[in-house]
Amino acid sequence: MNEEWTPLDCLLPSGKQRICLIILNQPLDKNHLHVLWSKALLRACADGAANQLYNITAGDRDKFLPDYISGDFDSITAEVKAFYADKGCRLMETADQDLTDYTKCLAIMLEEIRTQKLQVDTIVTLGGLAGRLDQTMASVETLFHALSMTQLPVLIIQEASLAYLLKPGNHRLGVNTGLEGEWCSLIPVGGPCQTTTTGLKWNLNDQVLQFGKLVSTSNTYEPTAPGKPRKPVTVTTDQPLLWSMGILIDGK
Amino acid sequence: MFALVCFSINLYICRKPCEHDRARLSATENNPVSFHVSASSPGGVTLLPPCTDQRTDTCPYVVSPLLPSISDLHSFSILTLSLCHSPSLPVLTSRFLPDYISGDFDSITAEVKAFYADKGCRLMETADQDLTDYTKCLAIMLEEIRTQKLQVDTIVTLGGLAGRLDQTMASVETLFHALSMTQLPVLIIQEASLAYLLKPGNHRLRVNTGLEGEWCSLIPVGGPCQTITTGLKWNLNDQVLQFGKLVSTSNTYEPTAPGKPRKPVTVTTDQPLLWSMGILIDGK
Repeated sequence: MNEEWTPLDCLLPSGKQRICLIILNQPLDKNHLHVLWSKALLRACADGAANQLYNITAGDRDKFLPDYISGDFDSITAEVKAFYADKGCRLMETADQDLTDYTKCLAIMLEEIRTQKLQVDTIVTLGGLAGRLDQTMASVETLFHALSMTQLPVLIIQEASLAYLLKPGNHRLGVNTGLEGEWCSLIPVGGPCQTTTTGLKWNLNDQVLQFGKLVSTSNTYEPTAPGKPRKPVTVTTDQPLLWSMGILIDGK
Repeated sequence: MFALVCFSINLYICRKPCEHDRARLSATENNPVSFHVSASSPGGVTLLPPCTDQRTDTCPYVVSPLLPSISDLHSFSILTLSLCHSPSLPVLTSRFLPDYISGDFDSITAEVKAFYADKGCRLMETADQDLTDYTKCLAIMLEEIRTQKLQVDTIVTLGGLAGRLDQTMASVETLFHALSMTQLPVLIIQEASLAYLLKPGNHRLRVNTGLEGEWCSLIPVGGPCQTITTGLKWNLNDQVLQFGKLVSTSNTYEPTAPGKPRKPVTVTTDQPLLWSMGILIDGK
């Protein structure tokens, strides 16, 4: 993909990407929720995410009704389940033990997009990068599965972190929304990645990223002259490579 | 709310118990001290008051963490706190003086730095940009253990698994480096998660302290791992764990008859494999 794609476009109220939203079972950032919800063509909750949504939208719940709630329903409370069922939200029980609620929710989302013939640019996931370490890793695993489930970029946002798995090939990331935090990072989660980058402060020059040898964390963007926009970050990788970046929250 | 006391506290077990310690150890066995790692509890760690020992250069405490029962550990006795980054001042008193504070000092505040310098804590600036503060702090810890000829079983790190995703990953990277820096196990605890990198070979993990949470997990962070396990609810039978193919998350322990202790978890792996497990916090 050599067209420029901007990960944080989805959080820009004026952003152009058409998105669908999946919410996972983690405390929700209210601002993120409001911006993403208002732009999303479809909105879904994975199991206990419905509890999070229910709690954070108190007083305004009718404006935040998901299109569907899916999962094995071992986390959603009876009260929350009943509330959304009464409001007409579809409840889709997915009992498959080999796949996580997130993966299953994503599969349903892709099916909905197909059936409803929606034009979508990006699937945004809220939550999944904090809390239990194994669940953070499971979210990354879902990003791996997503590479074979869809051509659409699937990204995850939680608090001040964004995660996006770069498939093998060339990538050009726009990092000039004004919402980018200071840091960015390339993490070879699945195994070694032969990597070349531009636009970073510490670029990789056909080097192998690999745990135990070289992992790019606490990286940042190539400095630019004051007033000048940042150049896009380009990344070439031979294996799936996890891009992660900071998000400015309240200007910090 | 207080943040966790520091980004990382390296606690190490420093020597064989003396008579004085034994008395306190038995009190601890009857009344185990909870190892609170909640971000909202002041200090983040519950400790017994210091013993009146002739050592005045350190502040010794006895802690009963997530290790198997104290009587099993021959050289476990006293832990000394060694802080890597700055804790919040109101939380700490002079009972919590680290042996050293290391790093590039771009995070520690001037006030905090002055406080600890005044108290005689060593400040060790490590400007190497290629290694993280955690890796450098660990290197210093290992050097201290060597110079002081301490008998140590485990290096425990408090913090490092939450917050920025790249920093969580950087903590895991330090665990990889640790495999070539020392034979000692290095583990990380934050909130209700523990992470420990299993080096290639056979491992036998005791999971019967009563502090284990419901979940456990084997994550092939660095690359594919040929894996065999016992003692888990979903065991691996010479299977390859690999991102995109098979990752063991939300696993749990093999069920046992009521009142019976859990069997140890055994893991055989051909590559470094990240073991992660839940910690009970306040009985949950």
